Amino acid sequence: MGQIITKARRLAAATALLAIAFTGVAADAQTGQLPRRTDGHPDFSGIWQTLSEADYDLEPHAGRHDAPPGPGVVEGGVIPYRPEALAQKQRNFAARGKEDPRLKCWVAGTPRGIYYPAPFQIFQRDSDLTLVHQFGHQVRTIFTNGTGHQTETDDGYYLGDSRAKWDGDTLVVDVIGFNEETWLDRAGNYHSDALHVVERWSYVDKDTISYRATIEDPKVFTKPWTIELLLNRRRDKNFQLIEDYCFTLPYEQAYPHKEVK
Amino acid sequence: MRSSKVLAGALLALAPAAHAQSPQATGNGGGIRWQKTVPVIASGAWAGAKLADGQPDISGFYSNTISNHSNFTDPQAGPPGEPSDVANLPRDQRAPSRVTDPADGQIPYLPTARALQEDFAKNFPEPNKPRYIEPLARCAPAGVPKSYMWHGFEVRQFPNYVVFLFDSGSRIIPLDNRPHLPGAIKLWNGDSRGHWEGNVLVVDVQNQNGKALFGRYGDFISENGRVTERYIFDPKGGGFNYVATFTDPTVYSRPWTATIPVKRYTEADKPDGWHYDVKPANRPGKPLLHERVERVCVENNGPFGGGAVGVPSDQPVIAR
Repeated sequence: MGQIITKARRLAAATALLAIAFTGVAADAQTGQLPRRTDGHPDFSGIWQTLSEADYDLEPHAGRHDAPPGPGVVEGGVIPYRPEALAQKQRNFAARGKEDPRLKCWVAGTPRGIYYPAPFQIFQRDSDLTLVHQFGHQVRTIFTNGTGHQTETDDGYYLGDSRAKWDGDTLVVDVIGFNEETWLDRAGNYHSDALHVVERWSYVDKDTISYRATIEDPKVFTKPWTIELLLNRRRDKNFQLIEDYCFTLPYEQAYPHKEVK
Repeated sequence: MRSSKVLAGALLALAPAAHAQSPQATGNGGGIRWQKTVPVIASGAWAGAKLADGQPDISGFYSNTISNHSNFTDPQAGPPGEPSDVANLPRDQRAPSRVTDPADGQIPYLPTARALQEDFAKNFPEPNKPRYIEPLARCAPAGVPKSYMWHGFEVRQFPNYVVFLFDSGSRIIPLDNRPHLPGAIKLWNGDSRGHWEGNVLVVDVQNQNGKALFGRYGDFISENGRVTERYIFDPKGGGFNYVATFTDPTVYSRPWTATIPVKRYTEADKPDGWHYDVKPANRPGKPLLHERVERVCVENNGPFGGGAVGVPSDQPVIAR
């Protein structure tokens, strides 16, 4: 009798596993199936990339010669620029073919590096998350060790100073200490050194992250505004980052050594 | 000079000045980067702390102890055209060649490869063509092995990975035996695969682009080369010896081996912009903790020497 019950239980367990494996839905419904660290917090390790058109233009836009159409990722659809800042954004837009820092392969910044259409890898340990962006091979550290923002950030950072806390299963990252060298997208949306970004990272399912960022900059915007987009795990076989130090392209052809005449 | 920004142009000026220091200088780290000897660290079992995935716990900050990339085979003698003030002392009063095999301390170049290296060294002091500028001076990744004899760097470990964060570039070393990238892909830092053998991190490097050069004398490996790196860690946590074997039948007459001694830096050391470029973490009331800050280079310099050598520095460099 006992033996039969055991078999039945085993069968039930096997069926449940099949359901999880083949539908994916079961996995989503059970947060226990999300990648987690031994301390219970979500484990965001992996290689991620957005499928969104956010980098082309954060706001809703029809297709144009240098951008595919996109529904926009800004809540409410419109970035609340101050009037004089909107004029600067429009000048940036007109000059985007030459002025976008991305064209020099410079650090994309925060949050732009997250939705730039190239993969980035998250390495996670108790004290921090290390984000390596394939584009320019830039490295950002998000500290989760309880430390506060640096009090002296020199002339500001391209990627900002990132300090995070857990809100349940959501990683909340507070980022300040920026310079004003980066843009927010290819459409010339921009910020000042007063930029303050609050990111919220959370799993939708084991291969998808919801990325929300609230952007505050009283020099440029009349009020905080929020973007939301999805990050997809790169699951291609043996996928890895391939270094892309594109800023070396103007001179790399000078090497290796050439024949001596 | 902002500590978080790598000023490539300034580095050209700084490096000879650093070489002009007395070997007995007792600056940061007790002048340790002017050590004349290389410690012996045996390969063997790892008795120290381990991470949850079984890796020896060696995360932290490191920098080499004998010199920079000015001169590969006579590390404290200075770059071409600018001999240091110890360059004329008897050879045994400076650190030994980084080449530990063959015994003569020289890279066993084939004749054509030797000519290319010597041509670079001859033209380095007054470059009249882009190819005579050391690529690191233009913010290129330092590559293998130059990354280990330039500025200090941080090692971070994660399950199945060791990650090196340099001042110019970074290396991600998977430990899971996946296949290398296709051979057509050539990279400044190459493509790395590693595994642990006791206290030794063994890394196989392929897919190098042959462009990075080893330093200011123009020593090099080609894109046909392969490097087997052995990072032999001191079980007491003092650092490691980087012992790398270079194989490239198109450049060398035989495989050869380099050794670079590396010291570990901790909160007991004073931060400085060269070996230990860190800041104290903001955590009042708790013990000192040093943390890395952002590194940028090209954003702060532009391609160095742009006008002088005909390298455009103000045009878009990509169309994607």
